Amino acid sequence: MASVTLKNIKKVYPGGVTAVSDFNLEIADKEFIILVGPSGCGKSTTLRMIAGLEEITDGELYIGDTLANGVAPKDRDIAMVFQRYALYPHMNVFENMAFGLKLRKLPKEEIRKRVEAAAKRLDIFYLLDRKPKELSGGQQQRVALGRAIVRDPQVFLLDEPLSNLDAKLRTQMRTEIAKLHKTLGTTFIYVTHDQTEAMTMGDRIVVMKDSLIQQVDTPKNLYEKPVNQFVAGFMGSPQMNFIDAVLGKSGEGYTLSFGGCVMPIPGHKAQGAELEALAGQTVVLGIRPEDVHDEESFLQKAGGAHVECTVEVAELMGAETYLYLTCEGGSLTARVPSDTPAKPGDKRPVAFDLEKIHIFNKETENAVLN
Amino acid sequence: MLAKRKNGGQAPAVCERGRAMSNRLFQGIIHQMRDTIDRTIGVVDEASVIIACSDLGRIGEANEEVTTEALTSSDVFQTADSTFKSFGSRPHPEYAVFVDGVDPEARKYVKLLAVSLNSIKQYYDEKYDRGNFIKNVILDNILPGDIYLKSHELHFDSDVSRVCMLIKITDKNDVSAYEVLQNLFPDKNKDFIININETDIALVKEIKPNIDSHDIDKLAGSIVDTLSSEFYTHCMVGIGTVVDSIKDLARSFKEAQVALEVGKVFDTETTIVSYNNLGIARLIYQLPTTLCDMFLKEVFKRGSIDSLDHETLFTIQRFFENNLNVSETSRKLFVHRNTLVYRLEKIKKITGLDLREFEDAIVFKVALMVKKYLSNNPVKF
Repeated sequence: MASVTLKNIKKVYPGGVTAVSDFNLEIADKEFIILVGPSGCGKSTTLRMIAGLEEITDGELYIGDTLANGVAPKDRDIAMVFQRYALYPHMNVFENMAFGLKLRKLPKEEIRKRVEAAAKRLDIFYLLDRKPKELSGGQQQRVALGRAIVRDPQVFLLDEPLSNLDAKLRTQMRTEIAKLHKTLGTTFIYVTHDQTEAMTMGDRIVVMKDSLIQQVDTPKNLYEKPVNQFVAGFMGSPQMNFIDAVLGKSGEGYTLSFGGCVMPIPGHKAQGAELEALAGQTVVLGIRPEDVHDEESFLQKAGGAHVECTVEVAELMGAETYLYLTCEGGSLTARVPSDTPAKPGDKRPVAFDLEKIHIFNKETENAVLN
Repeated sequence: MLAKRKNGGQAPAVCERGRAMSNRLFQGIIHQMRDTIDRTIGVVDEASVIIACSDLGRIGEANEEVTTEALTSSDVFQTADSTFKSFGSRPHPEYAVFVDGVDPEARKYVKLLAVSLNSIKQYYDEKYDRGNFIKNVILDNILPGDIYLKSHELHFDSDVSRVCMLIKITDKNDVSAYEVLQNLFPDKNKDFIININETDIALVKEIKPNIDSHDIDKLAGSIVDTLSSEFYTHCMVGIGTVVDSIKDLARSFKEAQVALEVGKVFDTETTIVSYNNLGIARLIYQLPTTLCDMFLKEVFKRGSIDSLDHETLFTIQRFFENNLNVSETSRKLFVHRNTLVYRLEKIKKITGLDLREFEDAIVFKVALMVKKYLSNNPVKF
């Protein structure tokens, strides 16, 4: 097992395109870390640099204590699972898992032991004699994982391994991979563009955008304390609501005004010199859909801090309902209990849970208050 | 020791028709030699099954004493009562000839038989091998008129949809990419893997008519991902257009070559380049270099593109990537808006082109591509 350290890693392609800029990250031994971000943000390139499939333009990569920049991919003791894996159609599951080891000329007995152990771990032992066309999508995915496991690597690199699967299977395989990480006790580096996958699987998440790391933190901290508007918007579904508001100061306290609505910021939250500096300016108010309420009990508790809205769409999701609202010229999404009486076309008030609001600097987009 | 068993077993799927032809060929030779050599002689395949024998009753028997390791060795080897010598043209020998007896004479016989059987096999393969035929077609080594004749002779379906891909291995390691690809596409009646040179492998794949180009890209992606994830082999794939006739395969192959070459110049960060998606790069690739030089001189008459430093070129690239949006570009470059405006003014002073204007920006963009093309000097196909 090994830690992975990336120091000032940079990747510039010969054409001048910068894929990764100044990437610094320490991944602990046995950690499950997720690289997440929109397409083209540099997450896959980072993974491929760790694998040795892309040359590092600048910076240092350590696997364990070894500087790995010049180490050939096959000598890095890593295994990779990619999105577009292919199984050998004429080989059975055993042969598919054994093929790589066979080409590396491992003794037959050793190959058999490793394949059978991996198959048991992945619960596909009973499928060892089957051909790929006789397997379901999920089973094929397990075989692809098995091909990586049999190598017994120090580090696993997974690049969107679930994106070929349908939604139901993806959810199931997410749990399987998280379980596998626990039983193998190996370092996992996982790339995805799906924030749900990131939130549910990793110990820590690295959010990337435009070749740069935006934030590295636990899923909970990323969700509750995003460092900027991009992270706040990227993590969470439906995404956080953003409303332009004027930050006012009255005495010791602060208020947020937009449209005809004025909301006081709770005293214990409203602290810091940055907030003081922005007083009187337009800021961005961030509020997650689950912190927008239409329940009568909450509205009463919130006093007068209501926002009058028109319901455009009400989507029943089963346990909850998503309300897509328009208010004060802007739009708002609320995640409310499924027993809400709201119907499209209704005019009804909603209230914000002011303990959960976020404020971002409109110019820099950095968080001022979480 | 000997047991009747079905041929095949764990051996990779091969063209059954080709195998049957080889078996008949070997049986013919063995039959002619049996009177000269007054012992039982025969041939076993890679599953140790007798496929040709002077004693016809033994055909189909498996010799459990012959191991796979022994079959893959190039030396003479012996069991309790027979002497064997492997032969065949693949990376590992595919067959072994045997003579009853373990005396020096038996050793001499197997060596002689192995030489003659190997030669006849090679001759047969060259004449009738479909892989060889396809290789000649894509490399334009066969007269157009002969293509249909030969494909008819080989029972080759000449009018189905096929696509050519060229796989360029950019970093070699111990594992043979050719062998991996042969296993990824084992249907030797429909798919052909051809070694072009040390780094290039061609794949000619039969596909469904009207296949979506995304599916072809996905297929190329699975080649790239399998080679890199399983064998740490980095490769690039060029994809030609889909053709419906065997005579057009050479064109599809050339397109795959062009796609890779153009990709190397203009699209350095991608591993899969399709001829159909080369866009403006394909136009530039077709231009004569003298014309390109003239164009650059015309565009940069006030000052050379070489006088722009690396930082300025980087700024320009980002400005293009952000759709000529000054605010967005300055934010991405972490510079003040005015700094970016100053840089753009400087570029205008040097080149006479105002990149904030669409007309000038497009001229500059094309000029940058032409410059890249000239300095990379790609191979023309």
